[in-house]
Amino acid sequence: MPSDSIAEVADPIKDEDTNLSATPVNTLEPATTSSKLVQAVTVLDTLMTCVKRQVLGRDDVIELAIIALIADGHVLLEDFPGSGKTTLAKALGEAIVSDDTTADEFILPFRRIQFTPDLLPSDVTGVPVFDSNSNAFHFRHGPIFAHLVLADEINRTSPKVQSAMLEAMGEKQVTVDNVTYPLDSLFFVIATQNPLDLIGTYPLPTPQLDRFLFKVTMDHIDRDSELDVLETYKERRDQADTEKITVNRDEVLAARKTIDEEVVVSTAVKTALVDISRNLRDDDRVLQGNSTRSMVLLMPALQACAALRHRSYVSAEDIELLLPRVLGHRIELAPGVSDFEKVLAESMRKPMEVLARGTLN
Amino acid sequence: MAVQKAGSVNHYMPTGLRAAIIATGYWVLSLSLTVLSGSVASFIGCLLACYAVDIYINRPPLERLRNPTIIAAALAFALISLSLSALITGSGLLPNLLSPIASYNLSEFIKWLGISASITVSLRTLAQRTSYGAVLEILFVAAAFVITLAAHRNGMIHRPFFIGDFALTRGMDPSAILMALGCGAVVSLAGLLMIENNQRRLPYHFAMLGLLCFSLLIYVRLFGIPTPQLTDDLGLTGAEQSGSGSQRENPFRDGENDASDKEAPVAIVLFRDDYEPTGGAYYFRESAYSQFNGSMLDFTTNQSMDLDLIEHFTNTRAEINQQLPAIDKRETVTTTIGMLVAHRNPFGLDTPVAYENTPNPNNLRFKRTYNATSMVPQFEFDDLLGRETGHTDWSEEVLEEYLELPSDPRYQELAESLIVNLRPEYANDPYARALAVKTYLDENGIYSLKNDHAYAEDPAASFLFGDLTGYCMHFSFAATYMFRSLGIPARVGVGYSVPARNRAGGSSLLIQAVHGHAWPEIYFRGLGWVIVDPAPQQTLVDMTTDPQNSLQQLLGDMLRNDASFEEFLESQQTSLFPLRTLMNVLAALVLATLLTAYLVKFYRLWIPGRLGSGQEYRLVYRAVLDKLSAIGLHRNYGESREDFANRVADLTPSFKQLTDNHLACALGSEATTAAGMNMEQWKIMGQAVDKEITSNAESWKTILGLINPFSWLLTK
Repeated sequence: MPSDSIAEVADPIKDEDTNLSATPVNTLEPATTSSKLVQAVTVLDTLMTCVKRQVLGRDDVIELAIIALIADGHVLLEDFPGSGKTTLAKALGEAIVSDDTTADEFILPFRRIQFTPDLLPSDVTGVPVFDSNSNAFHFRHGPIFAHLVLADEINRTSPKVQSAMLEAMGEKQVTVDNVTYPLDSLFFVIATQNPLDLIGTYPLPTPQLDRFLFKVTMDHIDRDSELDVLETYKERRDQADTEKITVNRDEVLAARKTIDEEVVVSTAVKTALVDISRNLRDDDRVLQGNSTRSMVLLMPALQACAALRHRSYVSAEDIELLLPRVLGHRIELAPGVSDFEKVLAESMRKPMEVLARGTLN
Repeated sequence: MAVQKAGSVNHYMPTGLRAAIIATGYWVLSLSLTVLSGSVASFIGCLLACYAVDIYINRPPLERLRNPTIIAAALAFALISLSLSALITGSGLLPNLLSPIASYNLSEFIKWLGISASITVSLRTLAQRTSYGAVLEILFVAAAFVITLAAHRNGMIHRPFFIGDFALTRGMDPSAILMALGCGAVVSLAGLLMIENNQRRLPYHFAMLGLLCFSLLIYVRLFGIPTPQLTDDLGLTGAEQSGSGSQRENPFRDGENDASDKEAPVAIVLFRDDYEPTGGAYYFRESAYSQFNGSMLDFTTNQSMDLDLIEHFTNTRAEINQQLPAIDKRETVTTTIGMLVAHRNPFGLDTPVAYENTPNPNNLRFKRTYNATSMVPQFEFDDLLGRETGHTDWSEEVLEEYLELPSDPRYQELAESLIVNLRPEYANDPYARALAVKTYLDENGIYSLKNDHAYAEDPAASFLFGDLTGYCMHFSFAATYMFRSLGIPARVGVGYSVPARNRAGGSSLLIQAVHGHAWPEIYFRGLGWVIVDPAPQQTLVDMTTDPQNSLQQLLGDMLRNDASFEEFLESQQTSLFPLRTLMNVLAALVLATLLTAYLVKFYRLWIPGRLGSGQEYRLVYRAVLDKLSAIGLHRNYGESREDFANRVADLTPSFKQLTDNHLACALGSEATTAAGMNMEQWKIMGQAVDKEITSNAESWKTILGLINPFSWLLTK
């Protein structure tokens, strides 16, 4: 091959590379991708950038939170105090603004509920209050009426409050005095619990844990990120008040819809998921395998994950990232077995291999 | 040098395997340097040291010591064991207390234990802690094997003798054994390399090594081992056999010959005519002691005596023309003789009358080859009775010579006493008289290689009038003297006597060192020299040998130098085990497999872009994966394609792009596939990855990958 043709050969790749770096949609050929999907991906990227600016060294958790938001699920963070949960939740909540005038005025972008043992359900949901002017009861909206609710130390409150909270999470509505108040369609909860300080807590039972799409165990951020936090916390604090990148609530909802419609989950991926579930249920070390519902819930999460990674299809990567987070709190291991990661990895190996090989056939 | 904390050390399996391989190296190396106890000690020492180092290298006492300290300690240990072994053999205490042999064995044991343990400890420590250490270790094992096989460097298949002789005497092809040994060495080394898994060696490189070995094997099967160029001694017999042709001061003084090499082949005889000896043994006459020189019989110096003998090899045909025995009682038999050991005279089946050199089919194997025409005896007992002795052409002087014997009167007295009991009609018959003498020796003589007559003034007298214990020389001399004392012209024939059953129905006959013989013979008028061989009924030694039919046939076929030799080699192999057929089938299978593998390999590289559209995403990607497999990079089991792409991103950044595109087509919607990149774009991307692989991968890896026919099997 003459040398000039080599140069020609190399050029298109370079061009493509530069194109790709310009637009975030890496592998999506313009021709094959609907502009809607490109828009949705842009929304996700904006959200990501926005939150990343506030929270350093937590890219993985931010990613999961955004995935859960798009997949219409909730996240349970297992973490110690002062690790940036609130910052994360707040940043995410504030990144989504609503300029819809018709929307319920009582719904705020972000609320935080600190759960304590003496909290009452009405403290969460809201309570009808008698208005002497109008001689009628007015429903006073509780903190749960927000786009994003941070439910701090959810295991510290009584089961009564927990169940009210979890009902709201499941049904996206609150019923007080036989009146049902719908929550915002974007309603998204980030709950936390401290994995160590368990005295006086009410641990969430498995069925209730099932309400959370992900359970994420967070570790301390790495050294460089921690240094970065200390270096820049002032700037970020000041900047937070001045310029804000925001995403419209409707845009998020639109993105949610688009991703659901347009990101492809191939049969091979579904097969892999079913096979992994079956392997887990057959495993002697697993007392109770995951439900079918967990797989159903996983679908939109996978789609969101793919979109976040600028793909129009769900790939093995997405499964590898999400499956441990989705199944970790849904599976009961046999007594004496503690390493869920290992059990899952073993169940995953063969279906994932089949999935990977399948692409060549 | 970075200290490697080898995590994979404390597995007993690799340690055991490695220890066994290194210990085998020691064993092979020490074989030629020490006695058995030393070899065993070096084996044991190496095993112990291997285990000790592998187990304790990461534990406190050894962990804290630095390399020089450990090596110095090992050296000190070796020195201590050396001095201890010197002390054992040097001082008289232990040899006196035990036995010299035992104390020598003990000292060798200690010495080699120390040497092998210290070397192993040093090498193992270096191998564990440094990157070059393993190389030293492997070099050591390689050197051990190389030294053992170094004698074969010129294609000499008989050296070392313990391999060459072992194979040749069993009719096997030594090259097979040598190849097996070589392959064993290669496998050992490959195993050793494999065990050092921290050195990032890839299994398929060893597949290449195996392939190389196999191609060598195929080469040998097809073209054979190169013929040795420089060698004077074939090693078939080890040393020159004394035989009967070599000059000796005193023929009785070879009685001390050891019987260890009695089976060594001396010559091979091919019968060109049908012949079965009447006496149960084939006699080959080489020479004769016929002149009494004052103390004993010796080769004659009289020109008119022993006209039937040819004293030297000639380049032309040598014939006996004078005093030929009558043909009516004899039969002409032609034999071809190949001498494996140099002789002074040619010899031939009794009675040789003509010699003629023949082309030597293998001048490395045969010292000399010639045709011998013999007039073999066909006479019966009756033919011998009543015959006169001597030849009419003999002068008085010659007859005198054939009748001369020591002045000792006891010979005649004994002989006379033996013929007293002959029936009157046979009392004067020479053959009957001779038989009486032979019978006396048969019945009273004791055959033994050990005797104390050798240094007597007249060994024959010492034998005959002493304990009657001796071997063929004593019997033949005693008989000859007694024959002569009775007026029968006699002499001692020298040559070989081979039991008739040794021929085992073939046309070839192997003469071995043990068959060297001397016998008395009498000249009967019209019959020539007739062997009257005493056969003592009592014998103290077992002079029989195992019939070596395979070697006999092998050498015979070699001498015959016709196609049947090759057939014989084959028949030898098939009779044992259908090895050759199996090898051929195996070779064909392997070749077919290789061919198929190469076909598949190159088809998979060639096909992208040549099949209908819609498949490029698959074919281009597969071709690229094949190329990565060839340089040793392949997706692990259960690893996702993206992870693999990230893993090789350093080598080929574009591959990530290609992977994403491939997955988009494979896992995305139909629309994506249909409207995706066209064939040209796919090819361009594939070529970009190719270029990166070519420029970034080490060239040796690329070349190996190109040769490796099975690289595509790793693609998944």
